[in-house]
Amino acid sequence: MSRWRLLSLALVVWVSAALAAPAGAQTSTATLSADIRTLAKLTLSAASVSFPDADPDVVGQIPSLGGPIAITAKSRATPASQVILTVVASDDLRSGIQTIAASAITWTVTGAGFQPGTLSKATPVTVAQWTGSGVRSGTQQLMFQNLWSYATGTYTASLTYTLSSP
Amino acid sequence: MTRPAAGAMRYVGQSKHHWHLLACVCVAALLWPEAAVAQRLDLTISPTSITFPSADPDVNPTIVSAPILVSVRIRQNQAALPWQLTVLANGDLIAGSQTVDITNVTWAATPAPPFQNGTLSKTVAQRVAAGAGNVNPAKDGSVTFRLANSWTYSAGTYTQTIVFTLSAP
Repeated sequence: MSRWRLLSLALVVWVSAALAAPAGAQTSTATLSADIRTLAKLTLSAASVSFPDADPDVVGQIPSLGGPIAITAKSRATPASQVILTVVASDDLRSGIQTIAASAITWTVTGAGFQPGTLSKATPVTVAQWTGSGVRSGTQQLMFQNLWSYATGTYTASLTYTLSSP
Repeated sequence: MTRPAAGAMRYVGQSKHHWHLLACVCVAALLWPEAAVAQRLDLTISPTSITFPSADPDVNPTIVSAPILVSVRIRQNQAALPWQLTVLANGDLIAGSQTVDITNVTWAATPAPPFQNGTLSKTVAQRVAAGAGNVNPAKDGSVTFRLANSWTYSAGTYTQTIVFTLSAP
């Protein structure tokens, strides 16, 4: 093979090598995936409240002892969905056979999204409402309507708070 | 009148052709001198799927993915030039119309050096590893991605791609 043929061959090899040579960078792609599911968490500062005895002429509305209940509602919801905190009484306030209607308990509130209301044993009543995910805090001050008509006794009832988001 | 022999004419024609070839080789070698000495870069990522499972932000403020293996191999880096491995996100984490800022994703990489920790960005490639010269045999690194967990995230399945780039000048 003549040197010119060798030269030609070298050119072909060199051009091929130049075309096939790796670039100055290599890349690789990966995929990130994050699974964020709906979640709700409710925290109350007190698991029980009590109302002291009082003269109905002096104290028409008896606030619960210990002051307002601090409420923290954490929720992860689907976009633009409503997050709702409700409360419902298991029954009327009872002392033996004596009862006081659950509606004798009302509340005032502080905090964005919280709203005042009257307790019910039949229908959950909205305590607070927001849109979407987040951490919200507020307070709820329970009040007991004091009347002369009540029979004496120690009355109790259970309240169930529910934080829900779709 | 004297005519050159046919063989002589053929020789003269081939000579011109080969001189052109020679000129082409010289010009090409001047334009692409690196072709003959180009670095050989090899990058392997495994697995290429990085997942963050759902978790309670109060229990798991940071969600940790399973580590991925990053293998880097550099040959023919004869001038001991620097090299680097970077990562760039193609955007924020996206689930429909909802987004989670990609800067909420960080990583921890070992061994250090050459690997290093960092935070993902969608605008500026972030360095994952760096060095100089050859890396042969390949150097394996373990990269563990972490997502800052938050109650503010909307529910959904968020995804995004990230691009690793191994480069040398």
